[in-house]
Amino acid sequence: MSGSAAIELHGLRKVYQKRRSEVVAVDGLDLIVQRGEVFGLLGPNGAGKTTTVEICEGLTEPTAGDVAVLGRRWRTGEDQQIRARIGVCLQETKFLDKQTVRETLELFACCHPSGRSVDEAMALVSLREKANARQVALSGGQRQRLAVATALLGEPELLFLDEPTTGLDPQSRRQLHDVVRTFRGQGGTVLLTTHYMEEAAQLCDRIGIVDHGKLIALGSPPELIRSLGGDQVIEIDAAGIDAVVAAASALPGVQRADLAGERLALTVGSVHSVVPPLLELLAARGIAMRGLATRQATLEDVFVHLTGRHLREDKA
Amino acid sequence: MNPRVVWTVARTTFREFWRTPEALFWTYGFPLLMAIVLGFAFQPAPPAPLPVAVLAEAPEDLRTALTASSRLAVEVVAAAAADAALARGRVAMVVGGSLAEPSLRADPTRPEAETARLLVERALRDRRDGPGTVHARFVAEDRPGARYIDFLIPGLVGLNLLGAGMWSIGFTLVMMRSQQLLRRLLVTPIRRSEFLLGYLAGRFVLVVPESLAILAFGCLVQGVPFRGSLFAGALLVLAGGLAFAGLGLLVASRAKTMEGVAGLMNVCQLPMWLIGGSFFANERFEGWLRWCADVLPLTQFNRGLRDVMLEPGGVGAIAVPLLFLAGFATVCFAVALRIFRWN
Repeated sequence: MSGSAAIELHGLRKVYQKRRSEVVAVDGLDLIVQRGEVFGLLGPNGAGKTTTVEICEGLTEPTAGDVAVLGRRWRTGEDQQIRARIGVCLQETKFLDKQTVRETLELFACCHPSGRSVDEAMALVSLREKANARQVALSGGQRQRLAVATALLGEPELLFLDEPTTGLDPQSRRQLHDVVRTFRGQGGTVLLTTHYMEEAAQLCDRIGIVDHGKLIALGSPPELIRSLGGDQVIEIDAAGIDAVVAAASALPGVQRADLAGERLALTVGSVHSVVPPLLELLAARGIAMRGLATRQATLEDVFVHLTGRHLREDKA
Repeated sequence: MNPRVVWTVARTTFREFWRTPEALFWTYGFPLLMAIVLGFAFQPAPPAPLPVAVLAEAPEDLRTALTASSRLAVEVVAAAAADAALARGRVAMVVGGSLAEPSLRADPTRPEAETARLLVERALRDRRDGPGTVHARFVAEDRPGARYIDFLIPGLVGLNLLGAGMWSIGFTLVMMRSQQLLRRLLVTPIRRSEFLLGYLAGRFVLVVPESLAILAFGCLVQGVPFRGSLFAGALLVLAGGLAFAGLGLLVASRAKTMEGVAGLMNVCQLPMWLIGGSFFANERFEGWLRWCADVLPLTQFNRGLRDVMLEPGGVGAIAVPLLFLAGFATVCFAVALRIFRWN
């Protein structure tokens, strides 16, 4: 290992013993997160994202593999040095109800030998006007920003954000995105997990797609989308569409065809050259379309292509 | 009323409970276990002899009359020691005078005083030839330092420290654990011992003033004496508070649910309520029960506080309970720190 990367994982494996069976949460993951980048771990629920992050945070011990965080290793007498240089926002933390924003931050500020002032941290997440508000009076977005503020108090070099925007409204989400961008702009490294692909595409320099505990794709968002072979998608919604998948995918200019129920998504380089022969094909086979749409390819398409499933179950 | 709704809610509630084995054990398993253990421990048996003191200067025939009774455990003591034995509840009654004109001294507010009076009078009557009435002079003990209230107030301070130390510490910790707050703190560079010490101090700050308020009530309103060193008393309250807080911390160090921590606290508190010497003297116990009572921190605290309140003396007079409580607190804290579940 070079020691210059923010995070280096080699052969990472985590197996949970559950009664008489074993659950493999992380299955031989290799990953390097470079300093100064926002790295997104993308994957559906249960893919192993949180386990991977918690191993990096020192909260979970891996079953096998090598983990280096900022060039140091957990459980080798360097834990405190690592903790002093990282900031963590867990997937779910409930702070004490009767503490104000300022009091909560004061508690976490005392945990760090040096770092930002409480006022600075509040300013970073735009919570100054809520300084004296108790937890119970905060909205979901404000609580989440407070959680991020607690992670920023120690002026970390590396920030772990585990699904920080889940359940937040778009405005709160945007505010958190601004916090991440500012942190990165100051030279910080971020390891972010999310199952919002738009978020990953907007925020991350590189993305690792995880499924069943394995890293199945790695690259920048444009690289991953380009790996589909085209950056445009034609979606056709029609009964009996499955009968023309092979023929549609053989049309000139079609790079990939992904069928989900009665919806066929064709990844193409050029929409205008594929649509006319596609319509002719459907007419010849007597298939009546319910809908046809074209759009830019997204990370969701990458994920569907790689796994055959949608990233978020509610989209399946 | 829609029975389907009631049925579904009941089924959901039960299922949730059934799938939490820790809660299940402490709610149903533990009381059952207690019933079995206590059932064996308290098998029907003849009542134990009631301890009474007879003054050393009392005539031989009076002593013989009392020792002849199988229902009395007679201790021959000097007058000064008799006062202390009565004040500490080690004896239910002090008998003096003569066989013809016995003098019985007891605090009538103690539950066993009336029984002792009946048993002593019966023993004296049996000793006399033929039936007749015993004209015993009953002296109601009401001197400060020898009454039941003088015994009770230190015991209540002990119980207060025990309850506050355990309940106030345990519940919040388990709540912080279940809400992932401990986990969140774990990933900061805070020292675990610093967090736990700070937490203890925060919960502890009201315990000592509350104990002092009970003591003040006892001394100012009930006239309970405080004959020993105030400094020694304060030191003992501090040591006791730390010992019980340490126990609370230990009990909460692994529990994941409120039911679990409540059950563990009951396991720790029940024996102390029963045999910790707060309501009645455990110095009368014998054998294994006495041994068990002696190693309870509440016993040590109660004895120490009674020593320092009812008799003149300083820190040296309560060195044993002080050291015991300090050692107990240290061990509890050290073990809790080692086994504490942050995750």
